[in-house]
Parts: sequence; structure tokens; C-alpha cells
Amino acid sequence: MGTLQSSPAPTEYCDLSEKTGFSFEQIAVLHKRFKQLSHDEDVLRRDHFSEIPDLASNPIRAEIIEAFFDQRNFSKNGKGKVEEIGFEEFLVVMSHFRPPSQHMTNEQRENVRKEKLRFLFNMHDTDNDGTITLEEYRHVVEELLSRSGALEKETAKSIADAAMLEVASISVGHMEPDEFYEGITFDHFLKLLAGFEIDSKMSIHFLNMDTITLCK
Amino acid sequence: MGVFTPCVLLSPHSQTGHGVKFGTKHAVSEPQDRLIMIPAMFGFSLGISETYMNILVRTLEWATLNIQQANAEEEKVNASASNGLIQRENRSMEKELEELRRSRPKPPVGGDFTFSDCFYFTRRGIESIVDDEVTQRFTSEELVSWNLLTRTNDFQYISLKMTLVYGLGIFVRYCILAPLRITLVCIGLTWLVIGTSAVGFLPNCRVKFWLSEWVHVMCYRICARGLSATICYHNRENKPKKGGICVANHTSPIDIVILCNDGCYAMVGQVHGGLMGIVQRAMVRSCPHVWFERSEMKDRHLVTKRLKDHVNDKTKLPILIFPEGTCINNTSVMMFKKGSFEIGATIYPVAIKYDPKFGDAFWNSSKYSMVSYLLRMMTSWALVCNVWYLPAMHQQEGEDAVNFANRVKSAIAHQGGLVDLQWDGGLKRAKVKDTFKEQQQKKYSSMVVGDDSSSNSD
Repeated sequence: MGTLQSSPAPTEYCDLSEKTGFSFEQIAVLHKRFKQLSHDEDVLRRDHFSEIPDLASNPIRAEIIEAFFDQRNFSKNGKGKVEEIGFEEFLVVMSHFRPPSQHMTNEQRENVRKEKLRFLFNMHDTDNDGTITLEEYRHVVEELLSRSGALEKETAKSIADAAMLEVASISVGHMEPDEFYEGITFDHFLKLLAGFEIDSKMSIHFLNMDTITLCK
Repeated sequence: MGVFTPCVLLSPHSQTGHGVKFGTKHAVSEPQDRLIMIPAMFGFSLGISETYMNILVRTLEWATLNIQQANAEEEKVNASASNGLIQRENRSMEKELEELRRSRPKPPVGGDFTFSDCFYFTRRGIESIVDDEVTQRFTSEELVSWNLLTRTNDFQYISLKMTLVYGLGIFVRYCILAPLRITLVCIGLTWLVIGTSAVGFLPNCRVKFWLSEWVHVMCYRICARGLSATICYHNRENKPKKGGICVANHTSPIDIVILCNDGCYAMVGQVHGGLMGIVQRAMVRSCPHVWFERSEMKDRHLVTKRLKDHVNDKTKLPILIFPEGTCINNTSVMMFKKGSFEIGATIYPVAIKYDPKFGDAFWNSSKYSMVSYLLRMMTSWALVCNVWYLPAMHQQEGEDAVNFANRVKSAIAHQGGLVDLQWDGGLKRAKVKDTFKEQQQKKYSSMVVGDDSSSNSD
């Protein structure tokens, strides 16, 4: 890998750094990667992602790739999907996996946590109705388990149903026999993963890059 | 075949004392051409290349020092050469999932599946988007420090002296060296066609054989001079012999010139039209090469049979094959296709490693056409590479072709200091097969269902 010659950071990096919390070096590195993946174009498309062999062997790659084109991950009120993304959107999505910083107040930490969980929730709530329905849940289970015959569809289905039941019992408590559980809302999701150590488990650690430097 | 002077690599070399200096070289003119060509043909040097390389090495060292000094005040980030951008947790899937679940109690009913399992896969997915082993092999290697070529730097002003040297470098490379080199290569190729056709008229006898070798090696030597190539051969006692197959890692079409400078090989390849076709037809007149029609390439049995026949004929030259099937950027060795390893002949592995400081030899065929690639080669500083001949290898009892191929690949990677990868070079153009995805799924499902067998309620 080459040395990153310390050229004066372009002003866009400054804005990006403030928006996403990455340092200049990290942004430069990711920019290089962006150019590599997009073959030197300005935008990334879905098929660019499909060219990564490591990603191709991941069972939920479709959801991961979709997350990059989902406008809900770009800003708080975004809706719908796009066909191509620029470097800024790429960075914004990546910032959900920013490594945890030492100097953060408890409130900031809580916000970061919520953001990460929101990202994961959006990944599975594919029809954007605010809940992860049984269908969507089943889809996830099927994707993760093998389709090649080692596991029958029925078994996968029953595993999904059982897991969903568990979720319902945790979120809603006791349900009447004819009550219908709509699906996991974001609040239920938060409750479900209340004790979960998401900060450390859901971040990417960059090598040799220390404290996050923000521009003055 | 004449004396090839020991190579200059990164260390000052005592000049051979001949009076010809670098400074007196002008742009293309007849006497100068002959000065380079004739020694090239006979395999010895007048000291021009050594002088040039000397100056070049000293200049690059000076440039590196300057750049480092200029950057000394800033906090520089030096990503380690081996790893890449991110730190990966390389623990197995089982361990990671266990950790993920530790915070949650095991559900009393239903499968051992929890939503948090997805997080592991999500993180792995994002990690591979940020950095993966394979995609980076299909673009040129990044240099540790600038080598005064425009193409390897986003130009940054360091000092007036540097800029002057850089400008002088451009002038020298494009106006002096490039025309000279192009002429040399043209002469070399023309001579190859004429020479081999002429030799082809002789009846089959030892003289013809010797002449044919001489013509081939001579032409490749001229071409090598045309690229200012400095090649260092190691372990020449292991050179491939007749009736064997020589395998090497592939970086560019120039590999052929590099290897053929030191011996004669039979080529394998597809019949082309145009200029390449003329060269191919001429070459085959003087000694047998193995050229396939496009339709024949698809028939694997036919290919194997022809190669076997060639190999079994002990008078024919060793075959040269690049089992990766495509050009890789010389930082790693990718999967070897097993076809050549099924023939049962002796394999002579060869490792080729280029020094990227003097010029990037990798042919990125999706970015550059053959012609623009050759022009880039001719406007680099020089081509410096090391060639190691490894001891012959045979397929062992009970070893299948794939394992044999991997064994050879590891030996080559180890010698050349390259990374040994299992991935297929064909991924440059094709997509990964679905079988890989299914493997991961199977692994995960066996984890879930395996635990499930006792507690699942249907």
C-alpha cells in the first residue's frame, strides 16, 4: 500500500468529516476504495458490489447491498431507493460502522447506538412500512439457512415462526389467542436488543488510524 | 549463447570501462541503433545499460530521500504493506456467533436462531466492501514512494530541483528513449519473422535446430533491449529441459520476452489474425510450437492430447504455460488451472518478480489495450525483474491434479515473495459461483439445526 502523501485536504473532505465523523485519512482511504470499486467512475451501482468475491459468498449480501441504495440510510426522512450512489452517500452508509470513540458523552453514545440499530432495522424492513413482518423475518431465516436441500423449506419456516413467537412474547407480553402480532416495530426491536453490545460488535476497525480529527 | 553480464539491481555497479557514455545518445539514428543491436544479438553489453541504470537508481534514491524529508514534519500514515485497511476478526463463525449470543438467554422453544446472528454476516459483508483480497490484485500495485513518473502520483510540488528532474525525466523518456525503443522492437520482430522463415527452408538437421534457437533468442534479446529490461536469472541449473512443461506466474505478455531471453521454449496459444498471426506462422516454421484454433481450445481432450504428444517427443522444446490464465498484478499468485498438471510431464516452476520502482509491468487489459500498454512500457524508466528457476516437480502417487497445481503455486509464491491466493484469476471478468454462498449457508444452518434437533417442536 502506498504512503498517503499529505496533500492539503480538499474542502469537501472537511464537510464529509464533520458529517460522518471519519478522519481525513479514513476518508482518503475510503475514497480510494470507492474509486477502485466503481472503476474510476463517480457513482457506484449494484453490479459494482456484486463483483466483490468475498461479498458474493455472504448469505445476506442482497440486503447489505440494498442498504447502500436505501435513502432511509442517507438522511432521517429519506424514503425509497436509488439506482446509483456517489461517494458522499457511500461514506454516510459506512459511517454507521464507525469505530466507537473514547470521548463521547453517554447521550452521544446512545444516539450512535440507536443509529446503528436503525440501520439494521431498515435492512430487514424491506417494504418500508415500519415493521418487520413475519414474511420479512422468514425471508431472513431462509437466506441464512441453506436452500440447497440440507434444510427443507418447512423446517426453515418453523424455525422462523418459533423465533417470531419468542419475539412477540418479549415485546408484547402475553397475547390473546386470536390476537394477531403485526410485526416487530422499531421500538420492539430496541427492546429486543436492549442488552446487546452493539458498539463493539458492529464496527470496523481501521488500521493505524488513531483519534478522529475533525476540522476546526 | 554468449555472455550475459550480471545484472545491476539497486546497488552501484562498477562500469565496464567502455568509452560509450549515456550522454552521447541522440534520438534515432542508424549508427546508434547498431551499437545497441549488435551487442544485444550476441548477448554482451557495451556498458550503456549499466551506466543508465546506475544513474537511474541514484536519481530515484535521491528523489525518495527528498520526498521523505519534505514529509518528515507531518504525521504520516503508513498503512502496512501486507494487510490492508482494516483489522479483521479472523475467528471462526462458530466462535463469533457464540459471543453474539452470550447476552441473550437460549430460547426455551423453537430453533436456536436469534436475530442477532445476522449482525455477524452484516459486519463481514461491510468488511469485504471496504477491503478484500481479490479486487486489489487486478489493479496496479501501489508504490511506497514516488518514482518520478506522472502515472504513479497525484502530482504534488516538493521542490524546484525535483520538478526539474521530473521534467527532464519526461523529456528523456518520451523524446529519447521511446523512439529508440520502438525502433528496436520493430527491428526485433521483423528479424524474428524473416529469420525464422529463412531457417524454415532448411531440412531438418542439427544445424537447423541450432540456428532456430539462435534466431529466436537473438530476437528476444533485441526486444528486451527495446524495453530496457534488466533481468537477473537465479538458479540457472534448474532451467527447464526438453520434454517438460515450464509454468510461471503471469503479469503481462512481456513475461514471454523475459523468459525467452535465457532459453528456447515452445509456446502454446490461440491462433490470431493480423500481425500476431504472421509472427506465429513464421515461428512455427523453424521449430514446433503449439497453436490452437479457437474451436479446438474448447475441446479439452484435444488440447491435452496435443500437449502430451509434444511433451513425449524428446526432441521438442519445453512448453511454456501460464496456468493462471490471465494477468495478475505481480503481488500475488492466483489459482492455477489444473489442465497443464494433468499431462503427467515434469513441471519446471519459474517465479518472475518485477521491481515496480522502474516501471509497472502489469497489463490491466480492461483499462489499456495492448498497443497503449506497450507504449506505456516503452516510456517507463526501465524494466527490472528477477527470475528464479525452481527445481523440477513431479506429480506424486495418489496426488490429484488440483493438489499438485496448488503445491507448485505455493512454491512459486514462496520464492517470489508473492501472496498465495486460492481465488481464481478469472474473477477479473466473471462472477463468483453460487456454490460459495451455499457453503456459508450450509455451515450456518448446521449450527442452527444441529442444536435444534433436541428442542424443535413441529
